[in-house]
Amino acid sequence: MNNENYFAGLASGVKSLATGLKTTMREFFTKKITEQYPENRETLEMFDRFRGSLSMPHNENNQHKCVGCGICQMACPNDTIKVTSEFVTTEDGKKKKRLVKYEYNLGSCMFCQLCTRACPHGAIEFDQSYENAVFDRSKLIKVLNNEGSSVVEK
Amino acid sequence: MFDFSKISSWLHGFLTGYIPEWAAILTESVLVALAIITLYAVFAIVLIYMERKICAAFQCRLGPMRVGPWGTLQVFSDVFKMLTKEIINLRKTDMFLHNLAPFLVVSASMVTFACLPWNKGAHMIDFNVGVFFFLAISSVGVVGILLAGWSSNNKYSLIGAMRSGAQIISYELSIGMTMLAMICLTGTMSFSEICEQQAVEGWNIFRGHVPAVLAFIIYLIAGNAECNRGPFDLPESESELTAGYHTEYSGMHFGYYYLAEYLNLFICAGMASTIFLGGWAPLHIAGLEGFNHIMDLIPGAVWFLGKAFFVVFLLMWLRWTFPRLRIDQILSLEWKYLVPITMFNLVLMALLVSLGLTF
Amino acid sequence: MNSQNIMFVILAVFIVLSSLATVLTKSIVRAATYLLFVLLGTAGLYFLMGYTFLGAVQVMVYAGGIIVLYVFSILLTSGRQEQLSRNTVGKVLASAALSVVGLGVFLLMLFKQNLFEQVAVLGAPSEPVGETTNSIASIGHVLLASGEQGYLLPFEAVSLLLLACIVAGLLIARKH
Repeated sequence: MNNENYFAGLASGVKSLATGLKTTMREFFTKKITEQYPENRETLEMFDRFRGSLSMPHNENNQHKCVGCGICQMACPNDTIKVTSEFVTTEDGKKKKRLVKYEYNLGSCMFCQLCTRACPHGAIEFDQSYENAVFDRSKLIKVLNNEGSSVVEK
Repeated sequence: MFDFSKISSWLHGFLTGYIPEWAAILTESVLVALAIITLYAVFAIVLIYMERKICAAFQCRLGPMRVGPWGTLQVFSDVFKMLTKEIINLRKTDMFLHNLAPFLVVSASMVTFACLPWNKGAHMIDFNVGVFFFLAISSVGVVGILLAGWSSNNKYSLIGAMRSGAQIISYELSIGMTMLAMICLTGTMSFSEICEQQAVEGWNIFRGHVPAVLAFIIYLIAGNAECNRGPFDLPESESELTAGYHTEYSGMHFGYYYLAEYLNLFICAGMASTIFLGGWAPLHIAGLEGFNHIMDLIPGAVWFLGKAFFVVFLLMWLRWTFPRLRIDQILSLEWKYLVPITMFNLVLMALLVSLGLTF
Repeated sequence: MNSQNIMFVILAVFIVLSSLATVLTKSIVRAATYLLFVLLGTAGLYFLMGYTFLGAVQVMVYAGGIIVLYVFSILLTSGRQEQLSRNTVGKVLASAALSVVGLGVFLLMLFKQNLFEQVAVLGAPSEPVGETTNSIASIGHVLLASGEQGYLLPFEAVSLLLLACIVAGLLIARKH
């Protein structure tokens, strides 16, 4: 063994060990991230990137952004989404697709976010809900568009 | 400073007034044994709770919080769970040795536990070769670990026991030589005299300055390895060997290994505080009479426990910081780095003592 | 009968039973374990006599060192068959004859040195030997003294032996 390597290795080893100790000691005094769930249910806020369940935001006029194109349905690897749409004729005589029913099965969703990435209009997103337990599997199938809602006109 | 020997000599006088001397000594021995076992159990519970909380804090968690306020009853519930579990008998194994092994480990650990100086005059085992006796008894536990690995009739257990044996035997060398360096400084091997000396002349880590600090650090590393803890826990590395030498144990027999692991941690810390940090000796700063007087008012047991738990905290800090080493890394750390450094340290300490450069 | 004697009897019975178990058991690992008890009992005798240094050395070298070495080598060498071979009549006779000869030599030496009479005169050593005669400091001085009573030469001879062991170990372990 080379003498210089021995002592240099010893010194660098001690230095890196000290760095590790410094890091954990800093961690020891930082605020703990544990959430005590049932007690802080009122105040608990999930973080931004949490993937709860799929939702379709509606604005105050009960309007959503979905045009019923069905790209999300094709993008989903698990056949979680079922988009039902119909063709309507608008006032100026054009035929246009309109969303009738947007069904989402939470039980088969794997929260991969491929649907939200695929959506060209940003109509669907994952919300921060986490209390998703139900007593019946049929309750996991949710209709995301509200009753009587319409698409936002541009 | 309160002297505990007043109480023990009063008790001795009281007992010999009623019963013959041999019966009095027997009664006292039984009382001391009961005290050791009680303290052993109490410290195990305190240390397990402390380990969980400190580990959690290092990982940015809170640790046990549900059972009792701040999770204080968690360990008690775990102990009761352990006590009610079945002890499983294995087929095609040597059941006598299998059942004997945990008792060897735990009794070796208890005898070393009795070597600790708790207060002025409160030494359970104290004679002129105390440090040597401590080292000797702590080496008996290895036999228990080896027997546990062999009698489990399980290759993982055997590998774990082999690793543990190789590791403990190697690191005993470093522990012995760091202690030798400190004995060079103190000139005595008796724990009570080492403590008395430090109460008068100051703690050894200040008296021996450079070599003493070096010895303290090496003692902490080697002590962690002796306890099979921290980065040196490969005898029971759960990812490769399930649980090493205690894979096949269940119920309270496993509990004994668990107890012995935590108490060995405390014994290691207690020894470090006795030999380097003064044991029950209070902190004195030369020239500050008022400060020294206030320090004297704090009882010796509090000083000892405070120092021991401080060292326990240091050892836990090490454990929850570093990843586990490989067996060849462990052995090369000992034989290529720690042994040469301790040898150099021993010579340096002898030189400083003979030149009168220590305080 | 004082407490010293009671302790002696307890330890002696313990040692004798453990020694018998050591030679009578069929399993090598069990024999090593019983031997550990014999050696610990012997250390207990030393502590009883007040020879704390000797007792600690006994525990350290024999219980902590030799037994660990035995167990280690048993674990490393033998496979599943740790049972000893059956005793033949010749083996039993030979070991019986050897034991009788050993006992004879031992008793002869005891009688020749008039040990029984000396013990009868002095009585049982009830008081532990004083701290001054066997303290670690005096042992250290005697061990490194070169005078009439000194043990420097044997000490250095032992260190030479250990050096030879280290060199031999290196020779075996060296990669060719």
